[in-house]
Amino acid sequence: MLDVDADFSTKQTILDAILAALIAWLFFLPITGVLLDGYAVQSAWHQPFVLALIVFYARCLIAIIVHTDLGKRLFVGKGHYAGVEVVDKTNAHWHWLLVIVAIGFVFPFFSSKYWLTVAILALIYVLLGLGLNVVVGLAGLLDLGFVAFYAVGAYSYALGSEYLGLGFWTALPFAAVLAASFGAILGFPVLRMHGDYLAIVTLGFGEIIRLILNNWTAFTGGPNGASAPLPTLFGLEFSRRAKQGGTPFHDYFGLDYSTIYRYILIYLVLFLVVCVMTMVVVRLRQMPIGRAWEALREDETACRSLGINHVVVKLSAFSMGAMVGGLAGVFFAAYQGFINPSSFTFFESALILAIVVLGGLGSVVGVIIAAVVLTILPELLREFSDYRVLIFGMSMVLMMIWRPRGLLPQRRQAFRRT
Amino acid sequence: MDWMIILQQLVNGLTLGAIYGLIAVGYTMVYGIIGMINFAHGDIYMVSAYLTAICIAVFMSWWGWTFVPLILVLTLIVVILFTSLYGWVVERVAYRPLRGSQRLAPLISAIGMSLVLQNYVQISQSARTQGVPSLISGHPLRIGSEQNFVQITEMQILIVIVAFLSMAVLSYIIQATALGRACRATQQDRVMASILGINTDKIISIVFIIGAASAAVAGVLVTLNYGTFDFFIGFVTGIKAFTAAVLGGIGSLPGAMLGGLILGLAESLFSGFVNTDYKDVFAFALLVLVLIFRPSGLLGKPEVEKV
Amino acid sequence: MKKIALFCLVFAWLGLSFAGDIIKIGVAGPHTGAYAAFGEQLWRGSEQAANDINAKGGINGKKIELVKADDACEPKQAVSIANRLIDSDEVVAVIGHFCSSSTMPASEIYDDAGVLMITPGSTNPKITERGLVTILRTCGRDDQQGTVAADFLVKTLKAKRVAVLHDKDTYGQGLADAMKAHMNILGVKEVLYEGLTRGEKDFNALVTKLRSLNVDAVYFGGLHTEAGPLVRQMREQGLNVPFISGDGIVSEEFVLTAGGEQYVKNVYMTFGADPRNIKAGQQVVETFRRQGYEPEGYTLYSYATMQVVAEAMKQAKTTDGIKLAKWLKQHAVNTVMGVKSWDNKGDLNTSDYVIYQWHDNGQYSEL
Repeated sequence: MLDVDADFSTKQTILDAILAALIAWLFFLPITGVLLDGYAVQSAWHQPFVLALIVFYARCLIAIIVHTDLGKRLFVGKGHYAGVEVVDKTNAHWHWLLVIVAIGFVFPFFSSKYWLTVAILALIYVLLGLGLNVVVGLAGLLDLGFVAFYAVGAYSYALGSEYLGLGFWTALPFAAVLAASFGAILGFPVLRMHGDYLAIVTLGFGEIIRLILNNWTAFTGGPNGASAPLPTLFGLEFSRRAKQGGTPFHDYFGLDYSTIYRYILIYLVLFLVVCVMTMVVVRLRQMPIGRAWEALREDETACRSLGINHVVVKLSAFSMGAMVGGLAGVFFAAYQGFINPSSFTFFESALILAIVVLGGLGSVVGVIIAAVVLTILPELLREFSDYRVLIFGMSMVLMMIWRPRGLLPQRRQAFRRT
Repeated sequence: MDWMIILQQLVNGLTLGAIYGLIAVGYTMVYGIIGMINFAHGDIYMVSAYLTAICIAVFMSWWGWTFVPLILVLTLIVVILFTSLYGWVVERVAYRPLRGSQRLAPLISAIGMSLVLQNYVQISQSARTQGVPSLISGHPLRIGSEQNFVQITEMQILIVIVAFLSMAVLSYIIQATALGRACRATQQDRVMASILGINTDKIISIVFIIGAASAAVAGVLVTLNYGTFDFFIGFVTGIKAFTAAVLGGIGSLPGAMLGGLILGLAESLFSGFVNTDYKDVFAFALLVLVLIFRPSGLLGKPEVEKV
Repeated sequence: MKKIALFCLVFAWLGLSFAGDIIKIGVAGPHTGAYAAFGEQLWRGSEQAANDINAKGGINGKKIELVKADDACEPKQAVSIANRLIDSDEVVAVIGHFCSSSTMPASEIYDDAGVLMITPGSTNPKITERGLVTILRTCGRDDQQGTVAADFLVKTLKAKRVAVLHDKDTYGQGLADAMKAHMNILGVKEVLYEGLTRGEKDFNALVTKLRSLNVDAVYFGGLHTEAGPLVRQMREQGLNVPFISGDGIVSEEFVLTAGGEQYVKNVYMTFGADPRNIKAGQQVVETFRRQGYEPEGYTLYSYATMQVVAEAMKQAKTTDGIKLAKWLKQHAVNTVMGVKSWDNKGDLNTSDYVIYQWHDNGQYSEL
């Protein structure tokens, strides 16, 4: 069964596990063993024991697994070095890519509405991940307030339709431009800052935008939120009864009314945008500006001494990321039909950052996979409703321990001699 | 403008600032030594609030103690011990395996840990808001007339004194003891420190324990002062305390206290004389402004770039 | 492998055979997150009602099966689970959601799908004002609540300098705005209108400001989590003026968060006539208490909502949301909270908001 190597010592393992269990028992004792009930407490002594027992077995199991061949392959010597891996030859699997894109396009016609909405959310997070990946992964600017641009995008659609009468299609470029200029404006004061100071300032910006959206009730609707109209397709509407002066989609084609059509439309447009954005980001990395971003990430001083204009490079990274975030916001508002500031909290920023880091900084494919996993995982975990977020948090920690550089670390193609 | 009201707002701000400062210490120490933002620190503080309530309830309702000073002292000791354990375990489980990997990995791990702690407490202790009976109350110090007065409660005095005292103790430890020297050495160059015979893993663990202990002190004081808490306070207060740490210059102990005080005063004065709605906007805007003109915070050392 | 396949087959067959005999009803609310305490009330109430109804033979012989759906009071999750409840779980009715901000987007989806949704706790007026057909509620509306509070403030307390505070959330601010609007009609202008931040515990600066403005009453739209510390800090700073709030503080936890019985004196609130005191519900209240659970706040509202859903299905002999809603708007239903009937918008016909007073023994009673 499991072949352990010579280093494995049963005695040591059990001693370690007993120690771990003891510490675990102490750790769990006050919070799980003594339960508050008003100003009094009740005891639940069995709970810390059970948890300690679980820790004991888990510790034994881990000790055994890391001493097997399988465990060594999985855990040892992976990812604990920094830098970008260089691959020799192009491994672009064109036909696979085509198959995936094709599947992506036909998916909504076979999916149930629920999974379609999950897919839309996943794609929105892919978009957000791609945007933040430019800022954090490529340009190396740690941004903890990325949700601000997402909010700007979402609100520019909702408020734009309310005050300016913008439709979905006009809102897309409008929100993109608006978010990009926000990115540039917010990027300007932070040019001098590095690392974690930058992180906290962006976090501050994110919170400021959310708080203003929440407080400025007269304009944004405050906590009551703002409603966003459904997207239309050449004047066809997707509601049961036409509200914006067009014809309902199902009437025009003589179909039965179903809400799935609107989600199919949003999904298809979103999927197209994601494909285009993926291509743009991949191509940008090969272009001078993309290389400048990465160079700046590696060594700002060297870049500046070589004549790279760090202001332009940083601001372009911020605006590029913000623009993609803003687009995601429009889709979010269109999909949900209603937005309020509670969708744009710091937790959301943290989630997007987690997507980028879990996927592998700078790696486009990794980010896409991570976004899909992180959106679908909580949905699958709905069965465990109470433990959902707990398991989610644990898997974040475990993933980082297992693969600190992300699922698919960034790779760079080597220059080939021709 | 009434002087009594201004003074009262200063008292309010000072108390709040002292609390922020105490929690900010944990952020700043951890950041100083391993350069990571410990997002789970706010949740360690939250755990200590629960531990406080549990201790008080055990002492008072199970064992029937009534002598308040004894309850308080024992609560403080027990809570510090258990919270330190939490700090140590979090470091051991979620951060130590990541030592030496890329910079953002511990950050994500910390965010994950923060979620885990919040939900762990929520699942075991239920999501409802909890409270402790008010043990110290009754005779606030009042100066002024019947209608117009400045009031300082015993708890407010205690909070400010304890905050400054712990700051002094921590500064002494860092500046003047062997442990502190080892901490500073690890901070400057971890590899070199370990070559010189310092067990850096142990030093980092100790720093986490000290950070958790100061959060525990804050947890006990805050819980006694406000009497109520829930599993979400770690996040709300944590972000403010972290802001305070950065404002003062992250990595600097006096900076954490200064940042806390400035943030507390700014919030109180803005809320009191301008507008409560935009209090947090003002706090963050202040942070951004300070960082624009002093990119390393008020007391932080400017980053020296090695070329 | 074969065994597993067989097992699956048997299981699927069992599932199919049962599918005809159960009615699936979603219970959507904040089962996790900061407002999970309300989610617990929602779930406890609905679960107990479903058990009681099943024990008496279910709905026309069919058993109720509840599906727990968690929105954590986030609009994004609310939309997602609304779609999930309809498509994957195939529920025929939904009890919830709780937070008004979640109910708003989710109700559009239920209405679109023709699924009955009855909220036991969302009091924001906008929910039933949007012309949605299958959306009803078993609680009052914030504008009714605000009117009662404003009348009380102006006519009974004769307050002249009123500070209106809220927690910047859909529920709290909506309530405060409704109260303020009616108070202004009655000729009293507020001296302060501000929002505090949810989750914070230090309101000393705000309290000092109240003191400097010489207010003679404070109105707060929000939940007990903030109301508790606010009251305590007011009393500690010697500000003993009346404190009035809404149904968000109807919980014994309010005393807990205020730091003790001595602080809740001179606190008033608006709430529907206490469901625990209604005769029809005594037996149910006893059942809850025997389980060691105090059915406070929205527990009995949720219980009643479940009864309403079951009764409508029983009488209208359908699970179609539009027909159910139509039936409910024409008929009155006997619930654990007394007889309930609805108007065409889906609001209750009678608003039974009254003023309660908290006493320094930690109890509240009708004024």
